[in-house]
Amino acid sequence: MSAPAAGRYVGQAVQRKEDPRLLTGHGRYVDDIVVPQMLHAAFVRSDLPSARITAIDVSAALELEGVSAVFTGADLNPGAGTMQPSMMAENPAAVVAPLTPLAGDDVRFVGDPVAIVIAESRALAEDAAELVVVDYEPRDAVASMEAALADGAPLVHPELGGNVASDLALPEDPELEAIFASAAHVVTERIVQHRHTPTPMETRGVVASFDPVTDQLEVWLSTQGPHEARRTFARVSGLPERHVHVRMGDVGGGFGQKFFTPREEQTVVLAAKRLGAAVKWIEDRRENLLAANHARSDVATVSLALDAEGHVLAAKLDHLEEAGAWPVGGTGGVGPFVAMLFPGPYRIPRIWWRSRVVWTNTAGRGAYRGPWMFESVAREQMLDVAARATGIDPLELRRRNVVGDDEQPFTMATGMTFSATTSATTLEHAARVIGYDDFRAEQARARAEGRLLGLGIGLYIEPTSTPAATLGVEAATVRVESGGGVTVFLGTAAHGQSIETTMAQVVAEHLGVAYEDVRVVQGDTDRTPFGGGTGGSRTAVIAGNATREAALKVREMVVGVAAHLLEAAPEDLEVHDGVVAVRGTPVRNVSLAAVAAAVHNAGTGLPPDVPRLLEATGRYQTSSPTWSNACHICTVEVDRITGQVEILRYVVSEDCGRMLNPMVVEGQVHGGVVQGIGGVLYEHFVYDDAGNPLTTTFLDYLVPTAAESPRIEIDHVVTDGPNPEGVKGMGEGGAIGSVPAVVNAVADALAQVGATVTEQPLTPVRVVAALEAAGA
Amino acid sequence: MKAAPFDHHAPETVAEAAALLAEFGDEAKVLAGGQSLLPLLSLRLTRFEHLVDVHRVAELHGITRTDDALRVGAATLQAEAEHDAVVAAAVPLLARALPHIGHFQIRNRGTVGGSLAHADPASELPTVALTLGATFEAASVRGTREIAADDFFTGTWSTALAEDEILVGTRFPVWAGRTGYGFAEVARRHGDFALAGVAAAVALDADDRITRVAVGMLGVGATPVRAGAAEAALLGTAPDAAAVTEAARAGMAALEPADDLHATGAYRRRVGAHLMETALGAAIEEARRG
Ligand SMILES: Cc1cc2nc3c(=O)[nH]c(=O)nc-3n(C[C@H](O)[C@H](O)[C@H](O)COP(=O)(O)OP(=O)(O)OC[C@H]3O[C@@H](n4cnc5c(N)ncnc54)[C@H](O)[C@@H]3O)c2cc1C
Repeated sequence: MSAPAAGRYVGQAVQRKEDPRLLTGHGRYVDDIVVPQMLHAAFVRSDLPSARITAIDVSAALELEGVSAVFTGADLNPGAGTMQPSMMAENPAAVVAPLTPLAGDDVRFVGDPVAIVIAESRALAEDAAELVVVDYEPRDAVASMEAALADGAPLVHPELGGNVASDLALPEDPELEAIFASAAHVVTERIVQHRHTPTPMETRGVVASFDPVTDQLEVWLSTQGPHEARRTFARVSGLPERHVHVRMGDVGGGFGQKFFTPREEQTVVLAAKRLGAAVKWIEDRRENLLAANHARSDVATVSLALDAEGHVLAAKLDHLEEAGAWPVGGTGGVGPFVAMLFPGPYRIPRIWWRSRVVWTNTAGRGAYRGPWMFESVAREQMLDVAARATGIDPLELRRRNVVGDDEQPFTMATGMTFSATTSATTLEHAARVIGYDDFRAEQARARAEGRLLGLGIGLYIEPTSTPAATLGVEAATVRVESGGGVTVFLGTAAHGQSIETTMAQVVAEHLGVAYEDVRVVQGDTDRTPFGGGTGGSRTAVIAGNATREAALKVREMVVGVAAHLLEAAPEDLEVHDGVVAVRGTPVRNVSLAAVAAAVHNAGTGLPPDVPRLLEATGRYQTSSPTWSNACHICTVEVDRITGQVEILRYVVSEDCGRMLNPMVVEGQVHGGVVQGIGGVLYEHFVYDDAGNPLTTTFLDYLVPTAAESPRIEIDHVVTDGPNPEGVKGMGEGGAIGSVPAVVNAVADALAQVGATVTEQPLTPVRVVAALEAAGA
Repeated sequence: MKAAPFDHHAPETVAEAAALLAEFGDEAKVLAGGQSLLPLLSLRLTRFEHLVDVHRVAELHGITRTDDALRVGAATLQAEAEHDAVVAAAVPLLARALPHIGHFQIRNRGTVGGSLAHADPASELPTVALTLGATFEAASVRGTREIAADDFFTGTWSTALAEDEILVGTRFPVWAGRTGYGFAEVARRHGDFALAGVAAAVALDADDRITRVAVGMLGVGATPVRAGAAEAALLGTAPDAAAVTEAARAGMAALEPADDLHATGAYRRRVGAHLMETALGAAIEEARRG
């Protein structure tokens, strides 16, 4: 395998254009937006998990000086358009929970917005919100999938007639049963991944300003997708899309929570429209933990049949996904996707699966970095369970089952076809970097001293840039300004991905200008071409190739003009760092600034066929996912008394194709890995049995900090991605591979004393319980 | 998460502060570093019409050492005490406990008196105060009084301070002779409140026999608690490692920690015994070297 060479700019760890402002605290976020006479919103939220609303009295709140309005469902719900994301709103077959701007006759989870208060300040709005009196008739709630599936369980959405949002399964498969009946080894385990919440550092937020004279809605939003937001606001408000202008500034993280446009933001827009005013809503941390979309919460019973040599012969997966009350359409019900991807990078010749999505009276599920990643969690844990049952080393078991780099394209038993991945290579690289055999020796020595070390592997392939609905296409516009500088307009929405940097590198490379002379504009629906938003590991592949195409088109225009100015043939010209020169005769050159000046000046006597505008739009469309892959291996020590887990080493070997910027790639991997570690060891959003949330502050919802982050060693396997730029998506992967790697490492440590864990999070209490159950 | 409206008062003397508390009664609350009070106000879990900010009261700041005691003014920053050489020399247990409070950002604002007056049972300083038998100095318009540590911590987040009283300072006894100290705790993450923790102090005679011992725990009850059974088992002995283990087991067995979100009572008991063994072992070891 030959590694493609880095370019002059692409592939270099150039300094980030975002750094000067972000690292010195000069980023501009939605909360920095101030509009004259702007009002502030606060929500009145349900404190019951399920109840009928019998009365709402807003009179005391309205009497408070400085309060402009208090709206309830009766005010804002009638006439509101659908609140679903475009991919659901435009799919008539989609089964969606009946979401309205504010609660209608009832509330369905703690945090359900019942009223919105608009006042002169947020503090005043909160004062008034306390004065809104809501009378409830409490109902029984279902706070877990188990409760929701029980006979006679109370219904989350009575109008939908059941708590199962979807139930898909393959037909019974006697042949598969026969394989299980005769297999040398059969392992079955119940794998549980608990509820998380994405917790971006910047909570959600919006400023919406409506001018009733021009019918124009101006919105500033903390988002991952301003164009999707524009369509959503147009649908819910009934305004034509052209009357909705959405802008974003810097965004302090999204992780999927801001990919579609959430309910509260839409409700604020409706309130602003009703008032003909500007309204700001900045979500506070408590609201973010309570009511912004949650994530994960999956349970599966998984069985593997293996032959005597450890080859997997067949698998069964019975998967339950918790959707909460108001899942975010399209990402709240990814269950079948989990099943489809379950085989991952391995040869699993036959599979049966069932996938159910279950509503509960809890915060709705939505996207979170690798929304379907439970497939990797379940599969990689099961492979370790199988390794222990067969006595085959877990690395060796994976070697025997992994699809070779040269055996692709490969079609999984579920029908998914992947190609151009290097799982086998990354598995070997990661094992080499961690020093696999040496570690096993060290583990044995430690064991002899009574210490428990463990090693875990997480091997996965990831379908990036999945072209669902509008997500398969992006456009980019590149313009050489009159002075020769370059501006790039993208429909992307960076919120930590360094897009201003990486896309400037792509333009500098292919147009032939200096990196410093390129500026990237995004996050403004009036200025940028339509884009599906930043998420789903799609920017490098889709926006990257669109940007490349636009840059090449503009380069051709530049060369065409320069050919006239230099009296040379276009094919003899080369463009580097803003200078067009005759190949072999570099003294015959003209600067891009001179080319731009000539184009913008009517008196330069260019012939009529020469373009009078140095601007072009590139477009890239994909019809299938681009696969990337990685292997995570970590080693841990488990404290036998406290149950605390210390990560000793953490290694990632990854293949994301050609790297636009290795520093950015590594930053994305680091962030993802830390989120995965956080998810396994610390983060857990807890409801009690009655449906009351127990972790609504950062005192109780524990996110990992720098102190909990290990040093992460990264090995890059660079192969060409199947697109002109040679890239593969990678933003989510770090958060996928890390979860099974950490779980498996802890399980490996515990297995030495006969203790088992298959349920996350691996809190000290759970680890101690496992040790105690094993008498260790 | 905006606090309900309140008036902010910034007195410059204890007398003025006491007068404000007397005037406003249960509508007033002392504000020190705000690291515990402000989150409670912002979440609207509590509310006061008047906050009496003691930051500018010079009398409340400072650390002074006498022969047998170290006095820490209530408004002294935790960070100041943490880095103070006099504290480290006079009351090593206090110096060792301080870095376990949250993160340095918290300690740069949080005060020693604020932590003691807030009386979170999982807090480090109340346990140190109880372990060493500190004396609390309180002032109000009615005069001043002293409260012994044994009487000070009355429940979770509650103390013997009356509504109109200000904590002025705390005197930590300075132990003389061959002494040693140990502090150990377990928390979910760096900087989190402890799931359980132990403070231990011992003094030895020339034959390494324990002449004085104090063991306190955090995170295992409604208030900081003394592990009396462990103390009794060790006093007058020259324990070997097994005896320390046994004393820790006995000390923990007498306590009944409760379950909460982050740990079960059983977990706290298991870890508590281990921490007690660790802290006592370290204390004895240090005293033997002295
Ligand atoms: C993220 C985070 C982590 C933390 N972790 C820990 C930890 O691990 N361990 C720990 O012990 N603490 C921890 N804390 C709490 C911190 O130590 C606080 O600083 C301390 O509990 C209160 O001190 P303060 O000066 O900030 O008091 P304030 O918050 O201002 O006041 C706290 C209470 O004490 C009262 N009070 C304050 N001063 C006086 C006085 N002179 N007289 C009478 N009453 C008074 C106030 O009225 C109030 O009721 C943490 C806090 C945060 C935000």
